[in-house]
Amino acid sequence: MGNKRKSYLWAYAFISAPILGFLLFALIPICFSVYVSATQYSGYQKPVFTGADNYVRLLSHDPLFWKTLTNTIYSVLSIPIGMALALAIAVALNQKIVGIRFFRTAFFLPTISSVVAMTLLWKWIFNGDYGLLNYLLGLIGITGPAWLSSETWAMPAMILQGVWGGLGFNMVLYLAALQGVPGSLYEAAEIDGAGGWQRFVKITIPCISPTTLYILITSIIGAMQDFPRFQIMTEGGPNYSTTTIVYYLFQNAFRYMDMGYASAMAWVLGILLMAITLLNFWLSRRWVHYE
Amino acid sequence: MTIKFAGWGDPSEKEVFTKLIKNFEEKYPNIKVNYLHIPADYVGKMNTILAGGDAPDVFYVPDGDFGRWVSQGLLQSIDKYMESSQIDTGDMWDSALVRYRYDGSVTGKGSLYALPKDIGPTVLYYNKDIFQKMNVPFPSADTPMTFDQLLDTAQKLTVRNGDKVEQYGMGPIWWEGFVLGNGGKFLSDDRKEFLLNGKEATDALQFAVDLAHKYKVIPDSRALQAMNDGQMFETGKLAMIIQGRWMVPNYRKLKFDWDVAPLPANGNWSGWSGSVGLGISSKSKHADASFKLLEYLSGPEGQKEQSLMGFAIPSFKSMANTDVFLQPGQKPEHAQVFIKAAESEIPGPWTNLPNAKWWDMLGQNLGPMWEGKRPAADLLNELKPKIDQAIKEGNPAIFK
Repeated sequence: MGNKRKSYLWAYAFISAPILGFLLFALIPICFSVYVSATQYSGYQKPVFTGADNYVRLLSHDPLFWKTLTNTIYSVLSIPIGMALALAIAVALNQKIVGIRFFRTAFFLPTISSVVAMTLLWKWIFNGDYGLLNYLLGLIGITGPAWLSSETWAMPAMILQGVWGGLGFNMVLYLAALQGVPGSLYEAAEIDGAGGWQRFVKITIPCISPTTLYILITSIIGAMQDFPRFQIMTEGGPNYSTTTIVYYLFQNAFRYMDMGYASAMAWVLGILLMAITLLNFWLSRRWVHYE
Repeated sequence: MTIKFAGWGDPSEKEVFTKLIKNFEEKYPNIKVNYLHIPADYVGKMNTILAGGDAPDVFYVPDGDFGRWVSQGLLQSIDKYMESSQIDTGDMWDSALVRYRYDGSVTGKGSLYALPKDIGPTVLYYNKDIFQKMNVPFPSADTPMTFDQLLDTAQKLTVRNGDKVEQYGMGPIWWEGFVLGNGGKFLSDDRKEFLLNGKEATDALQFAVDLAHKYKVIPDSRALQAMNDGQMFETGKLAMIIQGRWMVPNYRKLKFDWDVAPLPANGNWSGWSGSVGLGISSKSKHADASFKLLEYLSGPEGQKEQSLMGFAIPSFKSMANTDVFLQPGQKPEHAQVFIKAAESEIPGPWTNLPNAKWWDMLGQNLGPMWEGKRPAADLLNELKPKIDQAIKEGNPAIFK
């Protein structure tokens, strides 16, 4: 008995570290931010309770908030494009071709590279006069825009870079899922006379659907919280065309020292993300197949 | 007792301050200074330190952040110390001092909360080699060029090869200086209203836009994506550039000959200068000792050492007129241009209000004007109500 109790104690001792860490660095700050979102708080002085003021201001008096929300949703467009591309590449890399290891590594490289370095690199690619992208467009007779200083093109540029940056990781997930699809299913389908495309649509896609759901949910959360790329590449401009919610939140918190307002924004974003995720799970019952 | 002191700066500045602190400790043996050098993202890190309630006793206060920090009660007034101080404020540049005043709602008047560590006027730097090669007379060191003269000079210095510009007459303008040079205003005197839509201001802005789009003597935003104006000047691709005093140590390493002239203006000398102040935390338990350090670093000894680095002009007029600052034998030849600029230039508009949202909003919205798509006057008239609103929202104290 004594020994058993002792090992329980040990077990608690071991799990206490992450739990304490979670309490101190996640749960308590999260609870505090609920309170802060109902106050006027600069970060320097004591918060002053203002009730729902921040939320009212956010939802009905701040056109910029709605603009940044629209921008954020716009930027989420990168996800379906990115997923389709990642799947296509994964399918290609699932074949037995020469140099397969090289290609797999090459496509995964952006994932392990520093976001800052990659973003600076892309800033050059998007350069209006000397950038690689406009050079390539020039070869086919198109005069490319000054991507990052154009209100119209800045966000598409960010989406393009976002797709590229997320490709490697999603590709690896898809590759693993593809290799988990039982070969017997394909054989049976082949015997029944199903063509390549039919096999892909009827067997591959349903079989990898749990992975698709996982990628979809994590990508949406990731895209809605994306920040460093925007800070380095565009600083939210021009004319707020690439100011996402998180960027606007950061500005309110650390530039205008309006922590209460920023916290309210964080909660609106959090609730929105939660709703989207729940919706995703609910919808997923129709298209995700677990064995 | 030990006081904490925080600042940033490149290695040469760190070295100078380490030395100054050592001298200070010798002069006041009972005070020890704990020097916290923050190499990068000073304001971001200080915001966190200040929010954490663990403020250093004395710290650098950039003039652009002064309003925010002082309005949050992070600094203490040094008025009572100044009364008995050795520091002769009468000998200091008025514009260096005034930006560290705060009356409880706006900056620029009221009690003094910081002393200038330095002041960096903006001037026109020019590449003498290009001027000589193109046979264009040097700009005067005594009288600012008018906008027309500037355009004429810049056109003569611009070299084209077909459609492509190989050498620009001028760097992109720091437009704030142009607005001031044409008698324009950013805000009303009580800081409640946005006035950049006034005729003097929009004329100046339009002139700046035209330099790039109509006359094509300065690189536009597209060309600047490849190489910024500073790099273009340093590589001899443009003949004139507006910059602050702080570029001098760098430019002294350039291979070509250069000098400085006043900022172009239709009238008297004008423009804006940058500055960093030294303030005392409102929470400091050693305010007396902290002021001693402030007094030492902003006083004659501290100013002398800092001026020798070349980044800034001393806060004292009498010292600026000596070899400590003029540094004969070193570039620029007409160093006195900086002195006259320090006298005539005012703090930048970003120092005018505690909350910077109005300024950010302005910057975000000027894009179509810089691209030559919208006339300055139209755009600014359209922006005025939005920016007035941002001023009001961000700075409730001035509307009470």
